[in-house]
Amino acid sequence: MIKKLQPIAYPLFFLAMMSMPAFLDPRWLAVATTFIIFTIVALSTDIVLGKGGMFNMGQALFFGLGAYTSAILNAKFGWPLLATLPAAILIPALFGVLLAGPIVHLRGDYLLVTLIGFNIVFIQVLQNNLGGLTGGPNGIFGLDVISLPGMTDSPQLGAFYTALIALLITLLVMFNLDKSKAGRALHYLREDELAASSIGINTRVYKIFAFALGAGIAGMAGTIYANQYSAVSPEAFDFVQSVLFFSIVIVGGSSVPGIFLGVFVMFVLPEIFREFATWRYFIFGFAMIFTMILRPRGIWPATFGKIPRRLIKEGNNGN
Amino acid sequence: MATKELILTNVTKRFGGLVAVDDLSFNVQEGQIYGIIGPNGAGKTTVFNCITGIHPCEKGSIKWLGEEIRLLSPHQVAARGIVRTFQTIRLFGQMSVAENIMSGRHIKSSQGWWHGICPTPFSRADEHKNWDKVGELLDFFNLSEFAVNPVGSLSYGIQRRVEMARAMATEPSLMILDEPAAGLNDNETLGLIETIYKIREKGITILLIEHDMDLVMEVTEYLTVINFGKKIAEGTPGEIQAHPAVIEAYLGSDDDDDF
Repeated sequence: MIKKLQPIAYPLFFLAMMSMPAFLDPRWLAVATTFIIFTIVALSTDIVLGKGGMFNMGQALFFGLGAYTSAILNAKFGWPLLATLPAAILIPALFGVLLAGPIVHLRGDYLLVTLIGFNIVFIQVLQNNLGGLTGGPNGIFGLDVISLPGMTDSPQLGAFYTALIALLITLLVMFNLDKSKAGRALHYLREDELAASSIGINTRVYKIFAFALGAGIAGMAGTIYANQYSAVSPEAFDFVQSVLFFSIVIVGGSSVPGIFLGVFVMFVLPEIFREFATWRYFIFGFAMIFTMILRPRGIWPATFGKIPRRLIKEGNNGN
Repeated sequence: MATKELILTNVTKRFGGLVAVDDLSFNVQEGQIYGIIGPNGAGKTTVFNCITGIHPCEKGSIKWLGEEIRLLSPHQVAARGIVRTFQTIRLFGQMSVAENIMSGRHIKSSQGWWHGICPTPFSRADEHKNWDKVGELLDFFNLSEFAVNPVGSLSYGIQRRVEMARAMATEPSLMILDEPAAGLNDNETLGLIETIYKIREKGITILLIEHDMDLVMEVTEYLTVINFGKKIAEGTPGEIQAHPAVIEAYLGSDDDDDF
């Protein structure tokens, strides 16, 4: 049933998303936009954590790096926000390589702590107004916005559709990755690193690749985030945000639908239950605990066995 | 020098105070089925780990195609055409049989990492070609019916075949099998012998460790016997069976052979 729906599920999903602004008031439109942005960052976390199996608890760093790259280039150097996008992808990707390079050989928990450390250092740098560029604890505000044709009069609508385009690009990359040598290499090294290297996979290169690609995508989401609020400030990229993205991938599962569900559960549900004040986090904590007990691989885990049809012979006892 | 010969000279590997491999030398010639036997804990698997770069040895030399490979990392060794299987099967458990075999195509695929972000007609053709190769290997190892099954759910014997198919997918010149018959029933062992011959027919040299003496005596052409990391004898299966040092090493450890 689900298999049959798959080819039309994504177009339907995008149609539904595109018609969203017609039903939502400004507050919910902002929630929907942030939902999309967080989904992009969660997908980028999934490349490292879900596919590559590396405990990445510092994704907010790359998200923030992209946002601040855009904000600084826009506010201090006067670049149009859209023109800052390539830099906001490449600089985090470069930092992904530089930071991951010396630490990717570390095992799960050690890597996790190192990345938390990087994230904390990053926030300190932002708050201390490095080189007079980052604006200190208040961040940078009054940024330009990306103007989509026909939406110059409504920046909110523009922000929403810009985010949707970025999500579409991210999903394309995710699908391409799954059908490529590089994407499979990540799965192999997660499942068994020694076996992967014994058949010739340079695990170090592909681990760094995962970090760089994840960082680049998170950087792009950073630009979109700066565009939505026309401001950036340090607390949005705190290590607690990294924990959120980490939890989304673990609770949702390492698949695109899983990530959507994860972001919905971890971000949209708390917004919906806002009137319950702090109680919502109580329920939400228990939801996390029960998901992990009942579905340890996430609500919608990754599925394998997507091989070309011509390799599946008659009498196959699979599906 | 261009012959596909593996030459180990005075290889020594220590783990702390324990000498796991002690001054071991042997030659594996192109096209041979070469066996290494010895009692449990004799250091056989450690020899394989030294060759494949998992635990580089401290002393001695390991030459392959005239090149010193002692200090290369596992993926570099694999790129030079030496590929191995593991005593405790190491497959990618959640993934399907076909995807496991596809992992062996990694080094033969000419895609770059950038094709993972943006595919080109070239990379699509490369994908297609490599999946075709996986299809051939599924047939070769009689695994077609399990193509989409997750390997973790399959029986031990089938998993062994998948591991060998994955190794074959790299188009190796030398295949190292670490106890390929461990955990197999008699029927599966017979199938394994057939498979080993079929692999050799493809011009692949085979180096194996095995506890099943019947299998070793039947398939191998030349043997090295080690005990406590040292070579105690080498020769054809016939010579080895009559060798006094070998008989002594195996006395009292007869039950090793029956597994």
